[in-house]
Amino acid sequence: MNTTTNATSRYCDGMTRRSCLQLGLGALTGAGLTQMLQLRAESGDSGARKRSCILVWLDGGPTHYETFDPKPNAPKEIRGEFEPISTSVPGVHFSEKLVGLAKAAGDFAVIRSIRHNQGNHGAGNHYMMTGAPPRIPVSCGAFVSFHPSLGSVTAHDRGESRGLPLYFSMPRMSRSGGPNFLGARYAPFVVPDDPNGKDFRVRDVALPKGLAEIRFGSRRELRGLVDKLKRIDDKTAGDPVLALDDYYRQGYNLVTSPQAQKAFNIHSESDKVRESYGRNSFGQRALLARRLVEAGVPFVTLYEGGWDHHGGIFPACRKRLPKWDQTLSTLLEDLSERGLLDSTLVLVLGEFGRTPKINKGGGRDHWSNAMSVMMAGAGTPGGTVVGATDRAGYSAVDRVLSPENFASTVYTKLGINPDQALYTPQGRPVHLVSDPTPIQELLG
Amino acid sequence: MAAAVEQAILVSAAAVAYTHDAEAAQAPRSYIPTMRRSLLTSALLLATVGVVPAGAAEAAVPIDFERDILPIFTRFGCNSGSCHGKQAGQNGFKLSLLAFDAEFDFDALTKEGRGRRIFVVDPERSLLLSKPSGRNPHGGGRRIEPGGPEYQRLLGWIRAGMPRRTPDAASLVKITVKPEQEILALKGTRQIEVTAHYSDGTKRNVTRYAQFQSNEAGIAAVSEDGIVQAQGICGEAAIMARYMGQIAVFRPTMPLPGDVPASVYDELPRKNFIDGLVWKKLQRLRITPSQGCSDEKYLRRVYIDIIGRVPTSEEARKFLNDPKPDRRERLVNGLLEQPEYAEHWANKWADLLRPNPYRVGIKAVLNYDAWVRRAFRKNMPYDQFVRELVAARGSTYRNGAVTLFRDRRDPGERTMIVSQLFLGIRLECAKCHHHPFEIWAQEDFYSFAAYFAKVSRKGTGLSPPISGSEEVFFSSPGTGTLKHPRTGATLAPRPLFGSAPKLDGETDPREALADWITSKDNPFFAKVMVNRVWADLMGRGLVEPVDDLRATNPPTNPELLAALAADFQKADFDIKSLVRRITASHVYALSSLPGPRNVQDTHHYSRHYRQRLRAEVMLDAISGITGISESFSGMPPDSRAKELWTTRIGSLFLDAFGRPDPNQDPPCERTPDTTVVQSLHLMNSANLYKKVTSDTGWAAELAGSKRKPEEIVEQLYLAIYSRTPDSQERVIGRGVFQKKGITRRQAAEDLMWALINTPEFVFKD
Repeated sequence: MNTTTNATSRYCDGMTRRSCLQLGLGALTGAGLTQMLQLRAESGDSGARKRSCILVWLDGGPTHYETFDPKPNAPKEIRGEFEPISTSVPGVHFSEKLVGLAKAAGDFAVIRSIRHNQGNHGAGNHYMMTGAPPRIPVSCGAFVSFHPSLGSVTAHDRGESRGLPLYFSMPRMSRSGGPNFLGARYAPFVVPDDPNGKDFRVRDVALPKGLAEIRFGSRRELRGLVDKLKRIDDKTAGDPVLALDDYYRQGYNLVTSPQAQKAFNIHSESDKVRESYGRNSFGQRALLARRLVEAGVPFVTLYEGGWDHHGGIFPACRKRLPKWDQTLSTLLEDLSERGLLDSTLVLVLGEFGRTPKINKGGGRDHWSNAMSVMMAGAGTPGGTVVGATDRAGYSAVDRVLSPENFASTVYTKLGINPDQALYTPQGRPVHLVSDPTPIQELLG
Repeated sequence: MAAAVEQAILVSAAAVAYTHDAEAAQAPRSYIPTMRRSLLTSALLLATVGVVPAGAAEAAVPIDFERDILPIFTRFGCNSGSCHGKQAGQNGFKLSLLAFDAEFDFDALTKEGRGRRIFVVDPERSLLLSKPSGRNPHGGGRRIEPGGPEYQRLLGWIRAGMPRRTPDAASLVKITVKPEQEILALKGTRQIEVTAHYSDGTKRNVTRYAQFQSNEAGIAAVSEDGIVQAQGICGEAAIMARYMGQIAVFRPTMPLPGDVPASVYDELPRKNFIDGLVWKKLQRLRITPSQGCSDEKYLRRVYIDIIGRVPTSEEARKFLNDPKPDRRERLVNGLLEQPEYAEHWANKWADLLRPNPYRVGIKAVLNYDAWVRRAFRKNMPYDQFVRELVAARGSTYRNGAVTLFRDRRDPGERTMIVSQLFLGIRLECAKCHHHPFEIWAQEDFYSFAAYFAKVSRKGTGLSPPISGSEEVFFSSPGTGTLKHPRTGATLAPRPLFGSAPKLDGETDPREALADWITSKDNPFFAKVMVNRVWADLMGRGLVEPVDDLRATNPPTNPELLAALAADFQKADFDIKSLVRRITASHVYALSSLPGPRNVQDTHHYSRHYRQRLRAEVMLDAISGITGISESFSGMPPDSRAKELWTTRIGSLFLDAFGRPDPNQDPPCERTPDTTVVQSLHLMNSANLYKKVTSDTGWAAELAGSKRKPEEIVEQLYLAIYSRTPDSQERVIGRGVFQKKGITRRQAAEDLMWALINTPEFVFKD
């Protein structure tokens, strides 16, 4: 299922999604991972540390009908070709391709009643990624940022964490997944390479191919010898070279620390585990996300392109959903078995849902009046279904919620107060979430 | 409109000086204007300072809504931008931001909320009293003391029937602070007193109701009660006091302890007026400057600053072997004539002007970029450059400058970019409400915007992601007006201050606007540009942020800024002569290493401030050193990073090193920070590794030559550090080549890699 980066992920706006910014701007401060791992060991309780988040972003806008909100009683031109199946939660039905998730339904919640008014990719992405609607009208092709993203705010909040970057995005940054005014330190560290590849390595964090470790060591030694620029040690002098020194130390730590390299080393997983996640890019990224979270990374975005099913939605879903279902259910199970689910929030969503009526091309178009969002872990009560759409899935009608409620829930679970003012470098106060009301049912 | 007018504007300008310097970036939260003050402290202050308005004293004078009630809301943060003052209000109760709209606030209190906010029959049960005093649950907690002076005053106002205006109520004319200037000890403190002056000649001490902000909290912080505390670092700060839209500034100076004989300053070199003005400032602060820098450092600085790359080994050797005393001057003159000068400076302006081509259109942006580059190639005088932009007309297919208007599509957007870029006046706040920290009102904003009201367009507008069509901009007849969004009043074009040429209804009003902007009587125009250039060359602007000129954000050396601006005007806005002037000063050529009396100086140019190389400069330097040019999509082979026409051309390197991202709003931010991603990229990126180890690269060429290891070492030092190695470094370098198991080629590569990975390469020192 190599759908994330290749040419098949064409969107309604006619362009192939270019990687917006494969920038590797991360947020590393302080000393190495080792120290952090030590801290964890000392605390003796993984629950004592702050929670992490894995955000599975289904770019394009996943259909709610063929996933978490089937409408078997709607007319045929609306209900589509799939049948509902029962889940482990009595009375809750998913669409037929979600076999694994149906079994695991007791472990996660589904919100069926988020609706908003931003029906194009650029704006919908911004609204769901940041909890704030775009300030000016933007279009499908837009890659905009008016507000810091969930991931950047989390990185900013965890600013003192040590070692690994605080916010990863794979294989690219989502359109509005950036830091906005929080600054480059809180941009995601992008890992564009495919962890399903035979010789996958995290770029820049591993030695360049062809450079032997021993030669890297001697180069490092040589660098120490030729580095003779005088530093101005007095802190009040504000010598920027001192910061660079710090970053080189951290960089060396990442490259040479066995623990850090271990987090990136997906090859150390058994074949069984790797198979269980699915031997495809998305599956292996999910596995890598689990490894990163395990190593203490607070926010990982898995960007999954190609959900803009304007045409041929049923063949596409037949092909795609089973693998996707396998990866997600494995991720939940694996996190749970490792005792990480209590401290890891898993989110699955896209920019909006899709139109009720199947169009001439056998697809569904953009529809922000209804969508389904999956949420698991970090105290989310399993088996919960929040809200409902109407009989035909046109619109959220029961317990109607907003992207602001969603973002507030995420922040609250991550220990971040959504009702706070952030300040731009110009000193302008910006409310983190304009309506800071979380979804109570999901707080647990 | 000479200096006096400017002074008047600056002095009456109001602003919370939110600074934006390196410290602020590291700890943005410390710059939060705190609204909460401990009630206890306030009470103490009340007792010690003897504030007039309280209980009994007030009873005699009728309570006036604007004079007596509104200041309470500002004082306790009720109408702040993070509470009821924000766009959507808070919990259904909205006040105007910092009380800029008294009418609105009066209605919000007395007419909305179904009369619950004010409960006339039982005033003490009014939400206006019960919530902020903590008797009823209040999201903002307890803000005023039950029964305290503010409580009593609000109660008295309700009992008096909530008068909107009392007859003959005096209006606020201005505020003053005492003292205005003072020399403080390094850890000295000073209480500021704020006095309000009213139209009837009365005065009140309003210290308790004023808000305070320091532009340099690291140098002198100010408490919420107006107590200034110097932080133990020598320097200067501006402390702003704000009260009901009026501002006044206190400027404390904290010199370094100990005396420095005047002769020390008298004997410093003075190559041009810059030096004398900097020395004068240093003398006031009793700071002494660093030594002059070496020729090697000077060489590297001017190459980076003027043409945006480091010198090649040949260029370096040629200059360093030049024995003539005027070698620096000739070097600068030569660099200013190189084609790379235009590309480098156009690249800087691209940061400020160039939009996202996927939104504005590839052809329009390509033409815009080409127009900027052509202007710098021709060395177009800066006033003409600005005039051609501000009054641009024609097709986006023919006149690149007109893309400014395709990008900024309404008069409001045009007002913001034009005022900020070319005047250093930030008007964006005044678009929606009275500028909270400035004198600018919505009326000023829309009167200025009215200059753009007659700009018409024909053709296809924006249709992202392609937006490829042609659009033509022209001026319709008439002088143009805009409506005030709140009052509905019709506003004719009017400049922000001073006077502009009269409009005749035929000529494009933008011509008159351009006349006014670029006039030699308009001090802001030259100042913001010289400040930009100064900041680029010196590592810090005389004003920071560079395009934020206002009384509450004063220059660190006002005389120097004025002198540079005057000099730039005298040279008819010739940018090259400005660059020549700065690089010829002794101040530019100071060492970065501190002497005994200037290690703490980060503002007054007593030493050179180190800067990380810009993304494009560093990438071009690396391509030059390794001999392997970068391959950019959609650009001819061997293109340099500084020649890219859009930042949408992919480059992991340029992204890692903080080139601006046009998808952001605002789009022109470039980040000068260093990050670990940068060090990782230099250390490990596949791209850099390939460049260093390429068979056709410079390391391979050096290794394959007949040169002795010593010569290779020297070549590498010259190309990467712009200097020759000292004897110890020669030994180290030779050692690399003698190491067992390492080929000559590997030795050259390793040394190249090591040198590129050190701060001596990464920084302009």
